[in-house]
Amino acid sequence: MINRHPEPDLLVEYATGSLSLAQTIAVTTHLQFCEECRNTVESLKDIGGDILQAGESAAVSDGLLDRIMDCIESGAEAVAAPVKKICSDEVATDLPEYVRNLLPEGDLSWRKLTSSLKVAPVSVGEQDHELSLHRINPGGKAPEHDHHGREITVVLKGSFSDEEGVYQPGDFIVREPGDKHRPFAARNEECICLSVLEAPIRLTGLKRVLNPFLSFSPS
Amino acid sequence: MSKTPVMMRSNGTAGRGLAHEGTNWNTMIERVGQNQDKEAFSALFAHFSPFLKAFLIKSGGVTPESAEELVQETMIKVWRKAPTFSANQASASTWMYTIARNTRIDWLRKQNRQNPDDLNADDIYDEREDPTPYSSLVQIRNKKQINEQLGKLPEEQAEVLKLMYFQGKSGQQVADTLGLPLGTVKSRIRLALNKMKLGLMPAFEEGIVKGSSYT
Repeated sequence: MINRHPEPDLLVEYATGSLSLAQTIAVTTHLQFCEECRNTVESLKDIGGDILQAGESAAVSDGLLDRIMDCIESGAEAVAAPVKKICSDEVATDLPEYVRNLLPEGDLSWRKLTSSLKVAPVSVGEQDHELSLHRINPGGKAPEHDHHGREITVVLKGSFSDEEGVYQPGDFIVREPGDKHRPFAARNEECICLSVLEAPIRLTGLKRVLNPFLSFSPS
Repeated sequence: MSKTPVMMRSNGTAGRGLAHEGTNWNTMIERVGQNQDKEAFSALFAHFSPFLKAFLIKSGGVTPESAEELVQETMIKVWRKAPTFSANQASASTWMYTIARNTRIDWLRKQNRQNPDDLNADDIYDEREDPTPYSSLVQIRNKKQINEQLGKLPEEQAEVLKLMYFQGKSGQQVADTLGLPLGTVKSRIRLALNKMKLGLMPAFEEGIVKGSSYT
């Protein structure tokens, strides 16, 4: 049973394409589990279609259709299907196909943060948001941590709890900066989560320094 | 290779021969998908490309000069993806909107040099192919509500949606643009969606999603 869903405004941002790539991935991951939100997103796109057709129009230049037909006829539109990367990491088989397809080829680079918590970054080529997988041992606790940026967590497998509740696969949890919490996994099973952290620009002295590794060194 | 019939060329009247009031655009996309029907494609182009161009120009980050390039890219994708179009899944305008949105996202990423070859919008959105019968029913019901209510929204709610849909703004950017607190923008979005009876999960109703409070 999924209890935590993205807020309506986040779903609108998702449907209209104003979220970062990593946040978009977090929402799509939730949608793999949640038919209700999937329906809502489809309907939010319907609004997009309506607004598109009811909106302004701008004349296109005369030769545009011909140029498009030329491209189509010359076969320039054909794009080779990308070779599927296969992630061979042992957690991969436990994950939804959608998430699996985003993972790099080979093994993930897990970093042990504590005796019961490991983190593997997943590169999506963005600097302002970090996507990663978290793995907590059965019954393991993550260190209490604060967030410098907004953190989104989607449970992929198992479950974890914190002061506010118990989270099951598909649950979409948002923590704002300053929310301290101390998650721990259920006793019977390890817990795997996808997480997206806003990596903020911190002011240190007079220099603005981008700190991309913030999330991997919980305070 | 035969060229596009002369009557189908140019923007202003292209495809008019085929399009009429109440044209079923779903059918047009299906004709392109199943028969590579150029006449149907020209009609789609004539109807949608001026809307697409205006949308892309307004959507932020796209210059008027690049807008046609993006219309071109969008329409080429329409041709290429038409065989996968399913009217059960989305209506023509929703489908066109989604393709244009993804084209814009990929283009903006390319401008920012964020590994454009790595992941593209189609990969990360994962559009599902066949909704369950339950989902189909919900979506049909929702679409009816949207058609009835979208035009009747109070101006302040319609304005927020328009900025998000038409200009690609986030909730925070809308708040900045209108000089409103973010909470007010969120609340207008929620009210608008409630009016269209979207996302009527108990959690949304009670405003307890992840313990958030709407102002």
